[in-house]
Amino acid sequence: MPKVTLKFKEAVLKEIQLDKEVITIGRNPDNDIQIDNPAVSGSHAKIINEGGKIFLEDMNSTNSTFINGKKISKSALNNNDIITIGKHTLVFSGPSQTAEADKTLQTKKPGLNETIVLDTRAQKAMQAEASGAAASSEKIGGFTVIEGSAEKNEYELTKRLTTIGKTETAEIKLKGFFAPKVAALINRTKDGYFISPPGTKTKIKINGSSLEGRYELKDGDIVEVENLKMQFYIKA
Amino acid sequence: MRLLACGQTDTGISRTNNEDNFCVEEGLGLFAVADGIGGSSAGEIASKMAVDVMRDYITRSASANEPFIGEYNKKHSESANRLASAIRLSNKAIYEASQNNAAWRGMGTTVAAALFEEDRLSIAHVGDSRGYLIRANSIVQLTDDHSVVSEQVRQGLLTREEAAESNIRNIITKALGKDLSLDVDIDEIELMDGDRVLLCTDGLTTMVPDDLILSTVSSVEEPGMVCSRLVDIANKNGGKDNVTVVVAHFSKKKWFSSVKNLFKFAGR
Repeated sequence: MPKVTLKFKEAVLKEIQLDKEVITIGRNPDNDIQIDNPAVSGSHAKIINEGGKIFLEDMNSTNSTFINGKKISKSALNNNDIITIGKHTLVFSGPSQTAEADKTLQTKKPGLNETIVLDTRAQKAMQAEASGAAASSEKIGGFTVIEGSAEKNEYELTKRLTTIGKTETAEIKLKGFFAPKVAALINRTKDGYFISPPGTKTKIKINGSSLEGRYELKDGDIVEVENLKMQFYIKA
Repeated sequence: MRLLACGQTDTGISRTNNEDNFCVEEGLGLFAVADGIGGSSAGEIASKMAVDVMRDYITRSASANEPFIGEYNKKHSESANRLASAIRLSNKAIYEASQNNAAWRGMGTTVAAALFEEDRLSIAHVGDSRGYLIRANSIVQLTDDHSVVSEQVRQGLLTREEAAESNIRNIITKALGKDLSLDVDIDEIELMDGDRVLLCTDGLTTMVPDDLILSTVSSVEEPGMVCSRLVDIANKNGGKDNVTVVVAHFSKKKWFSSVKNLFKFAGR
């Protein structure tokens, strides 16, 4: 029987058997796994058993749900995956459903804590800012770095325009002698986020296929620019 | 960073009068376009007032401690707030003028304006006049139209392609001169060497697709030439409306340019 272990920092709080089709997680007492903490939404996430395959789904929570430090909306769970909800973690024990599962965990583990602290802090700053200006109800997107050298693990795209490239003023800086000054532009509009490739040689891939023109980024898209690989997300 | 800018306006083919206006003030770092609305020449009064009041306000605030108009937005720089203030002041002036003169009642105008300071550019707009950035061979729209069709696209009622063909695409949801208070959209960008910025009224964007704007702006060196090329293309494609464009080139002062000039001088 697959299970999850609820932890707060290093302390184990509870073990929960995943014996139902849907297990809900949240701050409200009617959840199957109740986490009484202000960082957790009333209905935060759920674990779903879809014909033997186990998925974790975020329920539009305020502070998001993460698997191994990566923000998810819905994603399959693999053995030893670490789910982060607010400051609590849930460790999943069950079958591995994707082959690369253990590898991802290995590479993600060291930076795990740091990434999450950074994220909630940035989120809080943003929320404080947003509460001042009523008009900014638009969704914020960002990138989580998966592979390649970048200065940060995560980039929040709050500006109208974000430049990816080697140039000094680029918000997402590429390294390497042959990296282009401007590799791509990301435009934040009221309709969403758009990525434009420059007309020149730079290779940009979205979900594995090369980018030809202006493209609207969607939650979960994998963006590759030169040797930098990132995942795009939209915050609920 | 150095600014080189130029503007041009044209009545177009179908219309008999030009209700558009623009201003280019390299010294102040200000440039703007405005598209007037309202019958019997009131539209051109409104668009003229918009650019004049803005220019005056920016001139005054460059030397004196000019008060900000409306709410100061702390998320943006002082420069961006000054630009928004200038637009709000224009709005007030147009509104009051239209209330006091029966012939001008109901007049209004769109505006797209930019203010350049050091390495940053503030962009503000109301209505469907637009700002574009051309950087490294790609074009990015810096403004989101305040129009009924773009709201419909946002709500998923129309696709972008349907919006371009819609017969109500000329209906805007915001304009200067309609109300005493006005929401102005502001944004800021960090400038890079070689950036080009284009402001234009919908007479350009309904006649010339973005990729043609891009290739024209990036293939012609001199801003004035770019303007006349764009106006020509708009008129060739139908010229259904007044068309106004302002093109600005930004370049870093290069340390070797003075040395190069010295060599040129010595070589004579």
